Amino acid sequence: MERYLEFKGIKKAFPGVQALKEISFRAEGGRVLALLGENGAGKSTLLKILAGDLSADEGDIIISGKKQNFTSPFDAIKAGVSVIYQERQMIPAMSVMENIFAGALPKNKFGFIDKPRLKREAQEIISKFGLSIDPTTPVGRLSVAYQQMVEIMKAYRRGSDIIAFDEPTASLAEAEISILFKIIDELKREGKIIIYVSHRMAEIFQITDDIVVFKDGALVKTFVTAQTNEQELIRAMVGREIGDTYANLSRNTVYGDTLLEVKNLVTKKVKDVSFTLRKGEILGFAGLVGAGRTEVVRALFGVDKIISGEIFLEGKPIAFKSPTEAVAAGLALCPEDRKEQGLVLYRSIRDNVSIPVLSKICRFFFLDRRAEAELADNAVEKYSIKTPDTDKIVAELSGGNQQKVILGRWTSEKMTTRILILDEPTKGIDVGTKAEIYQRVCDFAKQGIGVIFISSELPEVIGVSDRIYVMREGRITGCVDRADATEEKILSLAMSDTAVTDGGEAK
Amino acid sequence: MSFKKLLRSSNTALLIITVAVILLFYSFNQSFLSLENIRNIMNSMSFVGVLAVGMTMLLICGEVDLSSGAIACFGGVVVALLINAGIPWVIALILTILFGAACGLINALLINKLGFMNFIATLGLMSVFQGFVTVITQNKNIQIPTQSFWVLGSTTLFNVIPLPFIIMLVLMIAYSIILSNTGFGRSVYMCGGNRRAARLSGINPKRVSSILYINNGALAALAGAVLAARMHTASPMTGGSGALDAITAAVLGGVSFLGGAGKMSGCFIGILLLNVFNAGLTAVGFPPYWQIVARGSLLVLALCFDFVGTLARRRALERE
Amino acid sequence: MRKIIRTKMFALFLLLAAIVIIYTVLSDGAFVSPKNIRNILQSTTVVSLLTIGAGTLMIAGHIDLSLGGIGTMCAMLAAYLLRVGVPWYIALIAALAMGGICGAFNAILVNELRLQSFIATLATAAITQGFAPIISQGKQIDIYDPVFKFLGGGRFLNYVPYSLIISLLALLVYGIVLKNTKFGRGVYLIGGNPDAARLGGLRPKRISYALFINAGCLSALAGILLAGRLQTANTVGITNSQFAGITAAILGGISFGGGTGGMGGALIGILILNCFNNGMTVINVSPYWQTIASGALLLIALTVDFLSARRRLKT
Repeated sequence: MERYLEFKGIKKAFPGVQALKEISFRAEGGRVLALLGENGAGKSTLLKILAGDLSADEGDIIISGKKQNFTSPFDAIKAGVSVIYQERQMIPAMSVMENIFAGALPKNKFGFIDKPRLKREAQEIISKFGLSIDPTTPVGRLSVAYQQMVEIMKAYRRGSDIIAFDEPTASLAEAEISILFKIIDELKREGKIIIYVSHRMAEIFQITDDIVVFKDGALVKTFVTAQTNEQELIRAMVGREIGDTYANLSRNTVYGDTLLEVKNLVTKKVKDVSFTLRKGEILGFAGLVGAGRTEVVRALFGVDKIISGEIFLEGKPIAFKSPTEAVAAGLALCPEDRKEQGLVLYRSIRDNVSIPVLSKICRFFFLDRRAEAELADNAVEKYSIKTPDTDKIVAELSGGNQQKVILGRWTSEKMTTRILILDEPTKGIDVGTKAEIYQRVCDFAKQGIGVIFISSELPEVIGVSDRIYVMREGRITGCVDRADATEEKILSLAMSDTAVTDGGEAK
Repeated sequence: MSFKKLLRSSNTALLIITVAVILLFYSFNQSFLSLENIRNIMNSMSFVGVLAVGMTMLLICGEVDLSSGAIACFGGVVVALLINAGIPWVIALILTILFGAACGLINALLINKLGFMNFIATLGLMSVFQGFVTVITQNKNIQIPTQSFWVLGSTTLFNVIPLPFIIMLVLMIAYSIILSNTGFGRSVYMCGGNRRAARLSGINPKRVSSILYINNGALAALAGAVLAARMHTASPMTGGSGALDAITAAVLGGVSFLGGAGKMSGCFIGILLLNVFNAGLTAVGFPPYWQIVARGSLLVLALCFDFVGTLARRRALERE
Repeated sequence: MRKIIRTKMFALFLLLAAIVIIYTVLSDGAFVSPKNIRNILQSTTVVSLLTIGAGTLMIAGHIDLSLGGIGTMCAMLAAYLLRVGVPWYIALIAALAMGGICGAFNAILVNELRLQSFIATLATAAITQGFAPIISQGKQIDIYDPVFKFLGGGRFLNYVPYSLIISLLALLVYGIVLKNTKFGRGVYLIGGNPDAARLGGLRPKRISYALFINAGCLSALAGILLAGRLQTANTVGITNSQFAGITAAILGGISFGGGTGGMGGALIGILILNCFNNGMTVINVSPYWQTIASGALLLIALTVDFLSARRRLKT
């Protein structure tokens, strides 16, 4: 009987968002199916449901005619499903071989782990992948790329019928990518069902057979790879011609004096970074995940310790020892991880907006509740946050509205923000709200605020920023003006041949 | 490789400290290394030691059980009642161990089914178990006149090594083998090291943790029963600090309080150090109340070392 | 959200009423006799102070298991100082300062060494418990100082204990501070998400130091009030009230996860707990069973806390 995987009417809601709206499609054995869509379109949620990590609110998963109901990853693995997540799931202190065989270590007849066999079989898989890793090395000592390969080997080892990859090449270099594609080809020939999530168009056209496009939790359209082209796909993903969003922005054109100057900044993760920011300027920071962009702003904001280097704010040297000092000096940070670092999720909108200005709304030690409510009401109105009232718990808002609450916090009338730092501000936010946030960012610049805009989405960082600094491995590798910026140019600065191939094993 | 070396070297360092402590106490009081005293140390090691075996497993898995001292106390009382009711001691012992497992099961249910925080659930149950012991015993000792049962506590090998110590050693070796040589043992490390990764690898962390709580209850009851056999009596006062002592010993021996790291051999040295320390304080005439303070301080110290050690391990694993 | 809290408070109130009615019936009215009500109120003082200390820390996402040990040790210290002839006010200040120092020690373990608060404070408890008998050589120290006796045992209009007034005032003041000041808001915010609070410009470390030190001082005060009432400081002291403090906080809606609850709920929690315990004595339940019942009550409180947290997530 032929193999297939079918999703039937899968629905999944999180507090405040309908993450998946009745997803139905079918993947055939011996073919590679691409899941395409912007960040937050629902691809990851679907993969988690497939892996048994989450359970769907409604709908069925059918594998080769058999209805499956996974309640745990164990069920999914037993049913022949392996999902390789983007964030690596491994135990750093354990050896490569134990990670590859995690959950199914080979036993001898006494029920003990058969270590020689474990090592032998792990070595066989490693050789098959053409890598040179000692199976007894702790995975924590491997480079990120090799850790990713260990994850892939783990899925390969299970011999699963269905293998799903969530952006597997994000941290791989060319050589490893070609190994991966060879393996995928082989799996395909064995008749397995491959699901492949990637943002890289070139790869999608290189190895996939079918394409399913997601947008805002819904399935937009399915394509056969050979019968479509990039423009068509992007139109389906975005819902309109790309480029519009950015062209329509009303931008600031007049820059003021130098606001911020960073000279030879060194921290644990940042190596010799220098840059300048002018009043009214939007400064983009591009680079791969882990390139050190977040670490630069964390150092600026007084979170990470600065080892050496100088920072000048309007000509005056500064070195913040805590975020409290940074906030007092007019810096504002919208952190990368909204839920973990940006918001106090189970408090109201009001409480979240007033955090940095609590001392300003105090009268004789007591909080002025009316002033606080006014502050929150203004933020809701200014950013058109969708909520019945400001008592609403932030956790119950959608991602876009949550991000607006943070923006409202830093731009309330009680704040005198001079530098606004946005770290991946549009992650997991729908397209409409994204455009809204871009325009806000431009408006801030018009008010003379200096904006630092960190983003991993190239079109966005190119479309919004006035100048773009590109980082790689803790260093700035170049600065590109908006007029000269192309995706190719930035990518080549962000990755180079030596970027991620720095050997498999530690010395 | 250097990771293993690190662990190994921390064990050696600890062993050297232990030897130094022994020599120090010996220089104060020559009778510290008398046969009598060595036997005493071994005996006192055996009680905390058996508790520490179960605790080490839990700590590696990222869990903790503060009720094990109370379960041990309860176990002693139960075995005494059963034997005094005329049940043959072997059967009484088995029933007691099963009883301890049942206590552990309650812990497991509260934590893994109801989602309580482990320390608060086990702390609550500690007072419940302790309360039952007081109700049953009316706060009095229960004598165990059955001499055949005493064998369990007072037999010695070569007239030096007490049976309880041997029981502890056998358990340690057995659990050490389980930890490093079975799939279950490795999954204990995985759950402690990265719970989500373990789950996604098809391991059920709740199941692993539940098994360990049940196991810990059973071991604690065994420890209590053996102690009762040695003392010929079950006292409602034993084991009050048992869980904390077990944690101190395990953490001293390099078992991380944060889960994912540690070995039975380290746990053994930790128990040795703890008991040598305690016995030494008595031997040099340290006032008893200060000993409580000293033991508490030792726990703080062990936790600080654990923190530093965890940082060092992380650094060793990070490239650069 | 506000509705749920309101209904929860209401449910707690019903529970309190139910307990009072059941005990009154079972005891033929002895439970609500003026003398017994005074007993209940009297026992409320120690627990209230501990509940404030433990509760504010729990709102901030920490826990302190050393409050019993600290309070007992500090009361013993005060009694010792009085015995050697130190004036009452110096003894009082010294004991409170000692409580603060112990709290600071906890705060250092938690904030600087990043130990989990429960194990750090458990270790502190182990240490402080040893100190009380060291100070007194294992005995109790009688207190003859009139001011201490007055603080612990004095009664307004010969009925309402002054110590009760102190602790009720404390509950009120802390309630206002929590709900209406920047510091209080900070306590809730760091309990909800310390990272977000820090990046928002608050100083979580400072708040946590303040709370641990405050809890240490309050437990020292609780120890002193109890010792004053009993006219002696013994080695058990307020050790057994520590869990009562935590249980009352949880009963009153202060969740272990941090970030929720308040002093109003805590007060009802304290009353429920004290009525529950006192009633067992009135209807002659063996004191041994009472320990089990208190442990069980803690677990029940936890279950209710867990269930309401789940309901909160669902809405």
